[in-house]
Amino acid sequence: MNDTERSAARMRSPEGIRGSLHDFLKIAVDKGAVDSVLAPVKVPAENSYAWILMNDPAVIESASPVAPVMPVQGAKALKSLTRKGKGESRILAVMRPCEIRAGIELMKLNQVHFDNIVLVSYDCPGAVPFQDYVKDPGFSEESFGKMIASGRPGEENIKPACGICTEFSIVDSDIHFGYFGVDEGSAFVIPVSEQGAELLDAIGLDRDAKIADWESEISSIRDKRTKKRTETLSAAGERIKGLDGLINAFRKCIGCHNCMSVCPICYCRQCYFDSEVSKKDPDFIFEIAEKRGAMAFPRDKVMFHAGRMTHMSLSCVSCGFCTDACPTGIPVAEIFSYMADITQPTFEYIAGKNNGEPLPLRKFEKKELPLVHEIVKSAEGEEGSDE
Amino acid sequence: MDKKVKKEFDPKIVGFLCNWCTYAAADLAGSSKMEISPALSVVRVMCSSRVDHNLVLTTFFNGADGILIAGCHPGDCHYGEGNYYARRRYALLKKVTESLGLESERLQLTWISASEGNRYAEVVNSFTEKIAKLGPSPINCRSDL
Repeated sequence: MNDTERSAARMRSPEGIRGSLHDFLKIAVDKGAVDSVLAPVKVPAENSYAWILMNDPAVIESASPVAPVMPVQGAKALKSLTRKGKGESRILAVMRPCEIRAGIELMKLNQVHFDNIVLVSYDCPGAVPFQDYVKDPGFSEESFGKMIASGRPGEENIKPACGICTEFSIVDSDIHFGYFGVDEGSAFVIPVSEQGAELLDAIGLDRDAKIADWESEISSIRDKRTKKRTETLSAAGERIKGLDGLINAFRKCIGCHNCMSVCPICYCRQCYFDSEVSKKDPDFIFEIAEKRGAMAFPRDKVMFHAGRMTHMSLSCVSCGFCTDACPTGIPVAEIFSYMADITQPTFEYIAGKNNGEPLPLRKFEKKELPLVHEIVKSAEGEEGSDE
Repeated sequence: MDKKVKKEFDPKIVGFLCNWCTYAAADLAGSSKMEISPALSVVRVMCSSRVDHNLVLTTFFNGADGILIAGCHPGDCHYGEGNYYARRRYALLKKVTESLGLESERLQLTWISASEGNRYAEVVNSFTEKIAKLGPSPINCRSDL
């Protein structure tokens, strides 16, 4: 990636970013730069969207690269295609920034392979909560349409996770479509990786646009969002702190594990919490119930969430799918994002960055990072046994 | 009343001990007839890095008052670098439990080599004392977890 000066192409469409992206997909397939496209398409019943892998121009015509809802994390669709290594065909995948970041985390977990994938991201205004969309698709489509036309990130009718998202723009994709604060109907096509630049050259998009204004617009929005995120998450942290806070936060949990099954990071074929080992013997439960005077079911609600926090908070990209999937309305994403914003800085790690760094638990330093050392130094004893 | 409860409090501590060093140290301490607190129940693991977060959380949420993870000194791992990974895992676990306000001081990592029988006895006794001072784990009176 060239950090010194970014050159971009400019695309225009009367339908704004949606039109430009759509045109781009068609050109890329037309010119043979990619074999197929992975993008959301509205389902025939018109009440949801689905990820479709397509190479038929007629189907691509029906694609909605910028969909108002996120029914399935894009990284999961990508995983289905590439979990066993790179495929034969070259795929152009249009995904939201958080989906690409989740894909990058999955790549580090060896579940996604990017070799034959071209990732296209765009300035994301946020997504409509899935339940809201299902209840009233018409209203949601309209409000999302306005959001996109405004050329700014959404404020209302978006998922809570989107409202505090700081990674709504350029990420480590291959090509990024920037349109926030750009004059109406126009979008910058920014090559992020070498592969992206080659693709833009292959389809003959001239890179002569200056994007300094767009960049400063993005960073000013990001500053505001960062402030909002810090406020929201620290309030969430205060709410859940302590055993009482935690029990209260998860009191409504019905143990359906939806948050886990929609989570792009939780990829394990079998989770400990679904396994037989985790189910305790009735005799044991009776014993504990007798000791504690009573016993609430399902058991281990707090343990399940605490366990998930230790297992995936380092890779959490705050995509908000868990909140969307919770049938009892627990703000799961907020709680997990709170934890992610604590654990990731401890290991000087940012989830969703593709910079060759492995996951924090898959590497170590003999002389640990300052924040890690701070935690383990009491364990090492006064003599400080690490060298 | 309160004092009586404290006096009667018999801490339950679970220790995950590395087979190659701390477990041998425990053996040495025992055969040297050292005085070791009986509060610690030993779980032998093949490496301190075997101790998954779920193992610790299961132990904690089912009522252990304290948890000790012990392995070889850094640089002395039987498998080369297992204990370095264990150290990172422990740091994460500690950070999470601390941020959730779950009395993370009940969780302790330590390094004890096979020849340090006396250190083993010291660590176990002082950890037991620490947990006894902390009192029973709050988990033990919650029926709504």
